[in-house]
Amino acid sequence: MWNWKRKEKKPSKKQEQTAKKSDTLSDFIKALGNSEDFVHYSLSGTTHCTVSYIKTISDLETLTRHVLPVLNDISFYTLEEMQQKIPVEHILITDKLDLIQEKVMFGYILIQLNEKDKEVLLIPAVSLQSRAVSIPEVEFSVVGPKEAFVETLNTNINLIRKRMPLPQLTVKEYNVGKITNTRVAVIYVDGIVDQDNVETVTQRLKDIEYDQMIDSSFVTQMIADNSNSPFPQLLDTERPDRVVSTLVEGKIAILVDGSPHALTCPTTVVEFFGASDDYFLPWHLASVFRLIRLFAVIFSVLSTPLYVAVLTYHHEMIPADLMPTIVSSRSDIPFPPILEVIVLELAIELLREAGARLPTKIGQTIGIVGGIVIGTAAVDAGLTSNVLLIIVALGALASFTTPVYQIGNTIRLIRFPFLLGAQLWGLIGVSMCMVYFIGHLIKLQSIGRPFFEPLYPMRINDLKDAFIRMPFNKQTERPVLMRTEDPKRMNQSRVNAKRDIDE
Amino acid sequence: MNKLNNSSGISIPENYLVTPTYVFFLVHSMQVGVGILGFERYLVEKAGFDAWISILIAGVVLHIILWTIYRLLQNGGGDIVHIHKKIFGKYVGGFLSLLFSAYFLMLAFTVIITFIEVIQVWVFPGLNLWAFAFVLICLVYYLVSGGFRVITGICLISVVIGLPIILLKYFPVEAGHTINIYPVISHSAGDILAASKQSMLSFIGLEFLLIYYPFIKNPEKSKKWAHFAVFYTTMLYLISVLVTFVYFSEEQLKQVVWGTIATWKIVEFPFIERFEYVGIAMWLYVVLPNICLGLWGATRIPKRVFHMKQKPVLIVFCLLLFLATPFVTGRPLINSINSFSGQVGFYVLLYIPVLLILKTISDKVRNRHEK
Repeated sequence: MWNWKRKEKKPSKKQEQTAKKSDTLSDFIKALGNSEDFVHYSLSGTTHCTVSYIKTISDLETLTRHVLPVLNDISFYTLEEMQQKIPVEHILITDKLDLIQEKVMFGYILIQLNEKDKEVLLIPAVSLQSRAVSIPEVEFSVVGPKEAFVETLNTNINLIRKRMPLPQLTVKEYNVGKITNTRVAVIYVDGIVDQDNVETVTQRLKDIEYDQMIDSSFVTQMIADNSNSPFPQLLDTERPDRVVSTLVEGKIAILVDGSPHALTCPTTVVEFFGASDDYFLPWHLASVFRLIRLFAVIFSVLSTPLYVAVLTYHHEMIPADLMPTIVSSRSDIPFPPILEVIVLELAIELLREAGARLPTKIGQTIGIVGGIVIGTAAVDAGLTSNVLLIIVALGALASFTTPVYQIGNTIRLIRFPFLLGAQLWGLIGVSMCMVYFIGHLIKLQSIGRPFFEPLYPMRINDLKDAFIRMPFNKQTERPVLMRTEDPKRMNQSRVNAKRDIDE
Repeated sequence: MNKLNNSSGISIPENYLVTPTYVFFLVHSMQVGVGILGFERYLVEKAGFDAWISILIAGVVLHIILWTIYRLLQNGGGDIVHIHKKIFGKYVGGFLSLLFSAYFLMLAFTVIITFIEVIQVWVFPGLNLWAFAFVLICLVYYLVSGGFRVITGICLISVVIGLPIILLKYFPVEAGHTINIYPVISHSAGDILAASKQSMLSFIGLEFLLIYYPFIKNPEKSKKWAHFAVFYTTMLYLISVLVTFVYFSEEQLKQVVWGTIATWKIVEFPFIERFEYVGIAMWLYVVLPNICLGLWGATRIPKRVFHMKQKPVLIVFCLLLFLATPFVTGRPLINSINSFSGQVGFYVLLYIPVLLILKTISDKVRNRHEK
């Protein structure tokens, strides 16, 4: 009777979602021949051979300086001879079609003695066009290193390696994305990192079933433990120095070719509120700034919901001295607080979105026009109250204090459920919404490790670098979160040895 | 010997266990619930302003019961279901365990209706019960379905958030009269003991150890944390009672239903007044562990007895709570449900030493037979 409910399980054929593959070498060359930038010609000088390459990604200088002169000077009859005489490193001789295809598409020059030959010579002549390493723009810091990742994987790995000349620094590469075949590198320090974490990450990377991998944020969304959560579960950064310091702590970094952002994991929610500046300043200053940032985030999320809750349901809570100020600012407003807040919040979101999409110079103008002109006009017209305008503007400002851009987006959006709660049941609604998010954070995991970590499970050792940053000599152990194989950072007794007076 | 090995109980995978320290938060947050908001009046009716002595007596009794619980569990290997099964056999033991499940569900229910009543009395007289109960129970479902570790986390958060509320006691003390407490002992021992029994009702929550004990890593080490939690709760109640006594006169207090909330009313900051709104909103955090742990315990027992999945049971129990909650309104009804569940809780606490004696006897008998 219930048969119709049961879906018939067919032994589904494993779908090969790759692009159509050529069967033979000549098919491959023919397929490439459709493109205008594919060069394919025969040499008929001293040596008889066929040269093929894609001119847009091969380095023509290698060809004209090192390859063609040799081919024209000496007469070759085997590929082995060529391999020995041509002054280029890592020349391959192969007849494996897969390898040939991969290398040619990557910029290698293909040489055949005869057009029908299966065995070919592959000369590396890869020309990598990349942006120069520039100043970090998303995570700018006043002091400290000013290098940011670029779009080329090799340059990015170089930026990390040169900061940590250590043989244990391991780079594992995978190809992800059925069509784009993007190179994804997993980087960790062997001997510090927990191999379980590495295994989880590589397993999840290998399991990705998708045709493209344009940016590292694709990876974040696909390997996250809970991809329905608004909270990012991998930390993305564009600073090589930050990546190196997390690697030393025992974390894993994931770099994606073509993306100027590295992902580090496992991460915790408090890590999103730490800036690299915190480590460049004395610990007390850094701690105060961190607390200010945390307060700013709480303020940004809760200020407008509290405004709605108090003005809609709990007017008694406003002290008598404060009451006249609020009454006079709201007396002409025709809307209930919730409508007023939603209109203003949406206006701010509009400004933000417009500012983000426009070039920097116009963006600034839009900000000023929007912020000052529209704001003042709205108050003058009696559409919103002064007090609310201040609160909303401060809240927007506060949401920009997060050092990591991704969490800033989350904070932008989670205030709306809070607003809904406030409108429904005042402070109790706000409280319920908060419980929901706390419960959600407790449930979340990053690569199988608790995301809400130094708070729950409460780990005193990890709290030393959470809301406040303790001085370096107090942080003698690596965070417990990573379960590192080598938890000691330094010799505690030597670091904290006290000197007596006059010694 | 073989039999003993077989009966070593259930083992929970390590990633679901919590460290012994959390027993402090689990025990404490389960003890403190809605009771603390208005338990002073019931004490005063029995023993007047000497009731603070009763709290101390109740605290001592609780330490003894806690010792019994640990004694029972340490040799029992597992939880209450396992112990029941061993002593009473499959059917009677299973039935008794299900009674515990019903009791836990009733505790959760009591807390929900009392909290809703507080909201109705103090914040929203015209609260839409259906909507509120629905959202609250969805929230509880979300948390409980996360498992024991999530509930433990909520317990931790609840204790941490509850801490600043204690500081508010400063305001009534400032406005109160210490002379109220004197003369110290003006009631008979009987009155004071009766008040002790009354105050035990606000202390129940210990018995959940019987069900979550297998979830504790190195449970022997958790003993001191559990005792510390009971001590902390006793001190908290003692402080609350003393502060309320200092603030209200005896006759006035007998008329006040929610003593603690009433003292929040006088809290005043330059930017905020009438702190009870904030207090009640924050009280959600204190109440939630009660409901969540109650529901978790109530659903865990059928899982252990019938070896069924916990999620369907949870859905059924949540539905039951949702359907029942909106119909329970009015002070007299809620008051009687509260005192009923308190009575049951009191007898459950008394039942534990009895269980220990039965278990000792049955162990002895069994050992003799095996010899």
